[in-house]
Amino acid sequence: MILDYILRRLGLLLFMLLMLSIFTFSLAYLFPGDPLSNLSGVPSNNFSQNTQLEDKYLYNSNYFTQYIAFLGRVFQGDWGLSFASGDNVFSHILDLLPATLELSVYALIVSIFIGVPAGILGSAYYNRWPDKLINSTTIVGYSMPVFWLALLLIMIFSLKLGWFPMSGRMGLLYEIPPSTGFMLIDIALAGFPYKGMAFTDALHHLTLPTIVLAMYPTTVLVRFTRESMLKIMDQNFIKTARAKGLNRRQLILHHALRNALLPVIKKIGLQFSTLITLAMITEVIFSWPGIGRWLIDSIYQRDFPAIQGGLMAVSLFVILATIVTELLYSLFDPLSRNQAHGKV
Amino acid sequence: MAKFKVFSEESNKSPLARFWRKFKNNHPALVGLWVFIAFALLAASAPFLAPYGVNQQHSDALLIPPSWHEMGDVRFILGTDDLGRDVLSRLMNGATYTFGLSVVAALLTTIIGVLVGTFAGISRGIRSSFLNHLLDITLSIPSLLLAIIIIAVLGPGLMNTVWAIILALLPQFIHSIRNLIVEELSKDYITAFKLDGASNWHIISRGIFPNIYEHIVVIFTMALSTAILDISALGFLKLGAQPPTTEWGAILAENLGLIYLAPWTVALPGVLLFLAVLSTNLVGDGLRQVLKERKAD
Repeated sequence: MILDYILRRLGLLLFMLLMLSIFTFSLAYLFPGDPLSNLSGVPSNNFSQNTQLEDKYLYNSNYFTQYIAFLGRVFQGDWGLSFASGDNVFSHILDLLPATLELSVYALIVSIFIGVPAGILGSAYYNRWPDKLINSTTIVGYSMPVFWLALLLIMIFSLKLGWFPMSGRMGLLYEIPPSTGFMLIDIALAGFPYKGMAFTDALHHLTLPTIVLAMYPTTVLVRFTRESMLKIMDQNFIKTARAKGLNRRQLILHHALRNALLPVIKKIGLQFSTLITLAMITEVIFSWPGIGRWLIDSIYQRDFPAIQGGLMAVSLFVILATIVTELLYSLFDPLSRNQAHGKV
Repeated sequence: MAKFKVFSEESNKSPLARFWRKFKNNHPALVGLWVFIAFALLAASAPFLAPYGVNQQHSDALLIPPSWHEMGDVRFILGTDDLGRDVLSRLMNGATYTFGLSVVAALLTTIIGVLVGTFAGISRGIRSSFLNHLLDITLSIPSLLLAIIIIAVLGPGLMNTVWAIILALLPQFIHSIRNLIVEELSKDYITAFKLDGASNWHIISRGIFPNIYEHIVVIFTMALSTAILDISALGFLKLGAQPPTTEWGAILAENLGLIYLAPWTVALPGVLLFLAVLSTNLVGDGLRQVLKERKAD
């Protein structure tokens, strides 16, 4: 049963990866300019170099053969060269992706730790002042354009009060050898050098971007948790439990919460796509050296191989994250495994 | 909890009338609706209302703060920017681009989304499976990233941004419409309708649409708030509207260098953006609330 489910999910994953790779491959032809240089990242200069490239990329054979060759290169880690830097796109992505992941993961953790309890609180005090307060706060946070929020926070906390730095991941004073790419883990691995001051500095740099990035997912989670709780609280088994004489605390903690939080797990998985979108803007504003800022820069510079590689890496990550949370969800909720194949 | 009504007055009003009556009682949503209408009117008539031209420069009045400030000037109610252009006029015209174009984009998305969503909803077997998997993959690409890819193909510019946003919004929209249709199709009254010999077209137009069009309006408001945020975000990233255009995100990005000297040139477009999105969300939330309440009684 569960094995069958996992196999079907894997099939879906393979199909999605296939479509994604076809889309990425076709971008080389859709982007302006010469498809060959879009694929390789080498601007065509002279005849001999050109023929060499044509041989390598099987440019003169049909699209299918070219696509297979493209897949082979993707697996070898040869994702073409960046127009802007001349380096391998893949190594760029390996450098930059951890920074984005770090920011997104922290923002997601913050939003789960604030959003879910706030949603539960709102449903517990349905239509009374805590609920109304939480509700109006979420709708304000929900409507705030992320770049404006970032600018406001910079204006207040960096320029006026001077509490937090406004750009970068780390003060220039400290040098941390990169091993995992996750700054906080790297510092911990290096044994908290500079008497732990590097660690607090990194935390300081993280604060504002994390708050900005966490705002939207938090409000989504608050609203979703509240809705889900209210739906459960209206069901018959809760009425039965109430009729048996349980008090509100027991009702919520033992009966409602477990059922209401199941869909929330699924919702958290769906946040990754939004998070990456917002992370791109946040990174630009806070000069965070992540993949989002790199992608936006690539657009300015018409760096097509970089855009292709970035798209593939980011989407791959989002797809994997979605599949993993779906698997987790189905582990917790046996009912969901019965869904017909292909239903979304 | 059983929902008893003490005064059981029978209400035979039409669904729409009951809808409006409930919506009226939700004051934040009503205020949101008024602000929304004001923005729509402003978007339609901004060039006639604005006191000055968009690119009209007043070389004697550079960087004048808003009129309530002691350095302010009554001629320029919201002050001027570094080129001596009236901020109020620029912001009013910005409503046409940011708000008006978002409405256009959301409307186009609605039309295409309803068509494709209906098709996805009623199709069966391999076709449905393929469509849904295709939706899955596009849903997994972040919407702004998708818009950026489309802009990279088409080139930057305001109209290309609109196309990009429509394409980026569509998967989510189709997905929601499809779910609505599938949910409605499984209900008994549709089965009865089918047994009476109704064709697919009849089921859709007579059976399903009268029951879901209000939900479509709710989805439309969600698409609209996303469209406003995306248009302004792309303008802010200099990928959408280009600087002389008065799109709010573009104005914000253009004046970013003045954030120390003239904070109002950065704060005001943001406030307007926030208000536009907030009013849309308030209306959407109000509608959703009413739909839920009407279902309950």
